Amino acid sequence: MENTSTHTDPSFFKPHGTTMRSEVRVISFILSGWLISIVGCQLFAYLLEVNYSELLLDDLIFFNLPIQFWLSGQLLPLWFIILCILFNIWMDRRTVQNLEGSLRFRIKATRGEDE
Amino acid sequence: MAYGMIQLVPIAIVAGMFALFILSGLRSRGGQSSEYGFGGSYTGRVGIGAGIASNWMSAASFLGLAGIFYLKGYFGMAYVVGWTGGYVLLLVLMATQIRRFGKFTAPDFVGFRYESDTARTLAAVISIIISVIYCVAQFRGIALLVSWLFGIAYFPAVIIGTSLVVSHVVVSGALGVVRNQKLQYFVLIITFILPLMLLTRKLGYFWILPQFGYGAAIGELQQQFGFNWSEPFASTSLFEWLALCFTLMFGTAGLPHVLSRFYMVPGIRDARWGVVWGLFFIALIYWSAPAYGVLARLFEARNGLTLNAGGADAADMIALSGAGLGGAPLWALGLLAAGGMSAAFSITAGLLMNGSASFSFDIYPRLIRPNASEQDKVYAAKAFFLVLAAVVMTLTFQPWGMIAEIAAFAFALAGNTIFPAFLLGIWWPRANATGVICGMLTGLVISFMPLFIGDTLPVIAHLFPLTSSAFIGAPLVMIVMIVASLLTAPPSAAIRLFVSRDVHDCPEN
Repeated sequence: MENTSTHTDPSFFKPHGTTMRSEVRVISFILSGWLISIVGCQLFAYLLEVNYSELLLDDLIFFNLPIQFWLSGQLLPLWFIILCILFNIWMDRRTVQNLEGSLRFRIKATRGEDE
Repeated sequence: MAYGMIQLVPIAIVAGMFALFILSGLRSRGGQSSEYGFGGSYTGRVGIGAGIASNWMSAASFLGLAGIFYLKGYFGMAYVVGWTGGYVLLLVLMATQIRRFGKFTAPDFVGFRYESDTARTLAAVISIIISVIYCVAQFRGIALLVSWLFGIAYFPAVIIGTSLVVSHVVVSGALGVVRNQKLQYFVLIITFILPLMLLTRKLGYFWILPQFGYGAAIGELQQQFGFNWSEPFASTSLFEWLALCFTLMFGTAGLPHVLSRFYMVPGIRDARWGVVWGLFFIALIYWSAPAYGVLARLFEARNGLTLNAGGADAADMIALSGAGLGGAPLWALGLLAAGGMSAAFSITAGLLMNGSASFSFDIYPRLIRPNASEQDKVYAAKAFFLVLAAVVMTLTFQPWGMIAEIAAFAFALAGNTIFPAFLLGIWWPRANATGVICGMLTGLVISFMPLFIGDTLPVIAHLFPLTSSAFIGAPLVMIVMIVASLLTAPPSAAIRLFVSRDVHDCPEN
């Protein structure tokens, strides 16, 4: 097995190149939104329960549902869909930009303008 | 709900639905087919999404979730969030990258990425164990439905249910039936939501969107029957809720049959957008599932019945029995039963075929018969299919939990083993064969530990609950993988270069 100790591998925490760096940045943004929303909603419900007992949770009705049911059962799945859409839009844009870049390069190379 | 009598109308609806799927499958068999059991033609991103959703729907979504809400109230939301949030992880961390490896199954991926036959075989064994556990949940759902449809006890219903599943796979295979996944999803969503609309309308609630309308039932339960929904963490702790939720998410991103979906789609862009549609279609079911549990409680309270008098079996059938108590017509109950049967049958058939394919391609020619011919492998696959069905049937006689809980155990195992192997395999080129083997073995131990020593060491059962062990387990496995990889020789330069350059588009150093 060849040991390439001088070679530094890219990783999620050490991305190499502009493509991977920008991808990791977007993934971090999406995953932060994902993590904060899940933990945040449960902490919110938990703190309401601990600090105000059932008084506030009884009164907070949203779209016909108790707030904790609405947050976890309705909003979070919807929020996940939105996060996926945002990620896909960004990926599509990046793909188009990369494609345009490579096409431009090819056209220039064919015409020999850069040479 | 009447046990002990044959439900003729629901049986006719169930039979009619299966006939519809077979006829539709026969018509579309000129399209694509695949040895992995995910055949079907793809028409656009919505079609891919419907395929993802129909492949995902199971007895756990159709019957199990309502039972969990009925028994455990807000705790059931951990399933809803876990089973939808996992798709975000899957999309952003894996969907794009795993396609670039060009491998068709989880063992294929592990074998190629870690350049190890041992790791590949271990991944195949784990995939089979996951399939077996997941199938037990489905067989339990099928057995409960058969028990209700034919008015027979649970034990013979398990045997009849198993025979029906095996016959379904054999007949479909002999006729060359291809699954029409769009039709299947469309039928599933209708059979799930239509009875719910009928029930909420009957109660005078907002029936057009019963996903919101059932909130009135929560108020009525609280005001008239003193049933308290306002303390979400009264019976289960915040840790238990989050542990289950994250375990289900890690498991979603690690289930072999879910990961395989991404290889079957023609284009990467279509695969990504297909996930969005798939998540939307899945969410449609999960937005509605809590309503069945809540309404069932209300109907029981109105009829003066005590909560969960019938035990776990009754809780798993609460979507049907609650609808029956609420006065839903027999044809609506038949629709629900047909939807549940269809979801359980299709996923069971897929998992059993996946398991037998893993055995015949990854285990049989490597460990049992090294010079096996292609014909031998086909025979081995058929024989192992029957063995798997028999094993699942035996385990279903004495299930260790409710449908959703058994499914969650399969997710925990996937989250502790396959998920870390894929995640580090994709995002850390330095991860090597020793690391992944140590990691997957650690994941196996963590997953089964609460089952075997949970009673002796309560701290194990507390930190690694059977259904929720991947919350702490998956990060632990990743640490083991990282340490073991760093202590041993790195993988070959070729595979590291492949991950850097071909998977992540990194410039060469």
